[in-house]
Amino acid sequence: MAPTHSGGGSRFREASSLGRFPVRCDRPPERRKPGIARTTTDAGSTPRGEGERAVILNTIQSRVRTSPAYRAIADQVRYRRQDVSGTVPKIPALPYLYISPFFVLFAVFLLFPTVYTLYLSFFNYLGASNEVLLTVDFVVFQLTIPQIANLQFVGLDHYTRLLFQDSLFHQALFNTSFIFLVQVPLMVVLGLATALVLDAKFIRAKSVFRTLIALPVATGLVAYSTIFLLLFNGDVGVINYALETIGLGRVPWLSDAWWARITLVIAVTWRWLGYNMIILLAGLQTVPEQLYEAAEVDGASRWQKFRFVTLPQLRPVLLFVVVSSTIGTFQIFAEPYVITGGGPSNATITIVQYIYNQAFLQLNLGYASAVSVALVILVSIMSIIQIRYGGAE
Amino acid sequence: MRRETRNDALWKFGSYIFLLTITALVLIPIYWMLVAATIPQSEFFSWPPRLLPGLHYLQNFQALQESVDFIRSIGNSLIIAVSYTALSLVLCSMAGFAFAKYEFRFKEPLFYAILATLVLPIQLLIIPLFLLITQIGWTNSYLAVILPWAANPLGIFLMRQNMKAIPDALLESARMDGATEFQLYYKIALPTMIPSLSALAIILFLNQWQAFLYPLIVLQEEKMFTIPIALAQLVGQQRVNFDQVMVATSLAIIPIFLMFIFLQQYFIKGILSGSVKQ
Repeated sequence: MAPTHSGGGSRFREASSLGRFPVRCDRPPERRKPGIARTTTDAGSTPRGEGERAVILNTIQSRVRTSPAYRAIADQVRYRRQDVSGTVPKIPALPYLYISPFFVLFAVFLLFPTVYTLYLSFFNYLGASNEVLLTVDFVVFQLTIPQIANLQFVGLDHYTRLLFQDSLFHQALFNTSFIFLVQVPLMVVLGLATALVLDAKFIRAKSVFRTLIALPVATGLVAYSTIFLLLFNGDVGVINYALETIGLGRVPWLSDAWWARITLVIAVTWRWLGYNMIILLAGLQTVPEQLYEAAEVDGASRWQKFRFVTLPQLRPVLLFVVVSSTIGTFQIFAEPYVITGGGPSNATITIVQYIYNQAFLQLNLGYASAVSVALVILVSIMSIIQIRYGGAE
Repeated sequence: MRRETRNDALWKFGSYIFLLTITALVLIPIYWMLVAATIPQSEFFSWPPRLLPGLHYLQNFQALQESVDFIRSIGNSLIIAVSYTALSLVLCSMAGFAFAKYEFRFKEPLFYAILATLVLPIQLLIIPLFLLITQIGWTNSYLAVILPWAANPLGIFLMRQNMKAIPDALLESARMDGATEFQLYYKIALPTMIPSLSALAIILFLNQWQAFLYPLIVLQEEKMFTIPIALAQLVGQQRVNFDQVMVATSLAIIPIFLMFIFLQQYFIKGILSGSVKQ
């Protein structure tokens, strides 16, 4: 994963002159000092799913292996030897002071909700409650924690219901899986093809193409969905208008179950193609040039170079793209909400949309929590399977 | 090296065709948004078809503003996104600095607790958050949208990664020159982190600017709507005036397009840290 770029001051020119992809242009040179220390320790110590993200982070960071980095490390070693470490604060409580605002919010708005969703999934929600759950007596003030909701314990009922009885949930699961099965392969193949073409030496105006293709990245989910609602609209949709004009006839995009699903697939692919292309392009640029040269010397064809050099080298990045797209498609909400409204007759309702309906339209908060937990478990399993199979050589 | 063959020329040609096709497919919806925003809806299908933008943007905007106070929504989105970004940057950089540059007890377990929540999807949080916000009485307030996501695990992760690059020697020499501990943070760490802070700021701003599911739950009054909720409300009506909706959509998208074109390197850094995705 050694950087093939010339480092140093040329990076800024590269960024501005529509040249190579400016992944490496985020920090001015004088600040790129000792990034090396984090590469091995962090990648090794993060959890498995994070490993893939760390790979990409590392590809960005690996470029700092230049002489200033080593000098900084040497500095560190020297200071350690003199026993004047910079990492020990004069005031021992200081680090806690720095992290405490973060952790207060973190505990209240992230850890607590996570645990509470799990808890809630075993209960029926009966309504709000103002009773006091417990009181903690800090000497200076009393912290009263109210009981958030009136709950009725139902055990595993919610889970058996969603597994065996709830046909609408099964429908949502089917719809989401369909979008996933069609959309992710389509997008990965298209994204890879686009990245490969953009990475080819002979293409001119690369950064213009790259910027244009990546533009959808800057559109909000609801905002772009409204455009697709207009494009595929049955009455005033310009796509049907165009199809009719060239003699192909109208397509019931939003009123037919299968076409509605396909509409969502098209919309999501449009939104995320450029995003994945950028990641794959960054991955392609870490493939050492020498490997291609060696393959060329051996007389490899274009396909062989792709199959035996590019693909194996790109494997971690591809895996990252597949896993994150999988997680993304299973969380689709804004698109069906805006474009199809979940219809026609629930043909495009997605899991998250179902959670939203259950929780906030019908106030079945307990059951919705159980669906959320099920979704997280499902997505985790899928990611683990993908990493298992995709990660093994 | 090999000589250029006919095969190669064909390959080049095919590559350009492919690239141009993809680019066109990407641009057509955006272009049609611009056209639709600048002509009255009645002219969408006049013959010959309107392919060029018209001059009806302001009229469409006025009609939009009459049906929903969209300027107010833009204001709401700006207030929420800017204050959220500022708050989150302070929190993440401070905590990130402590994790990168200090040794203290429970440092590792605390950091791994943060890392573990990086993978948690938003759906796992919204139901209790809704109950919590209702309980505190914060529904329909800016605070309800800003505060819960200010403690951003990804932000602290990126800050810590980048702040590790500050040499201890630099901090130590500052100490010897009489800098207080807090000055180490805001006079030394923060200025050297401006590029990383900018990238993180863009990520945070965009995530909040485009956030939909959570604001939809806690903001129910029309005067508190952010842009995405106002948009969803507009297209959720019985009869949708697409000319007005496209004006609203263009107002939501075009500033971000400009940001994207001029600050592309930060966007790309954000994408590569796996984070622009909501």
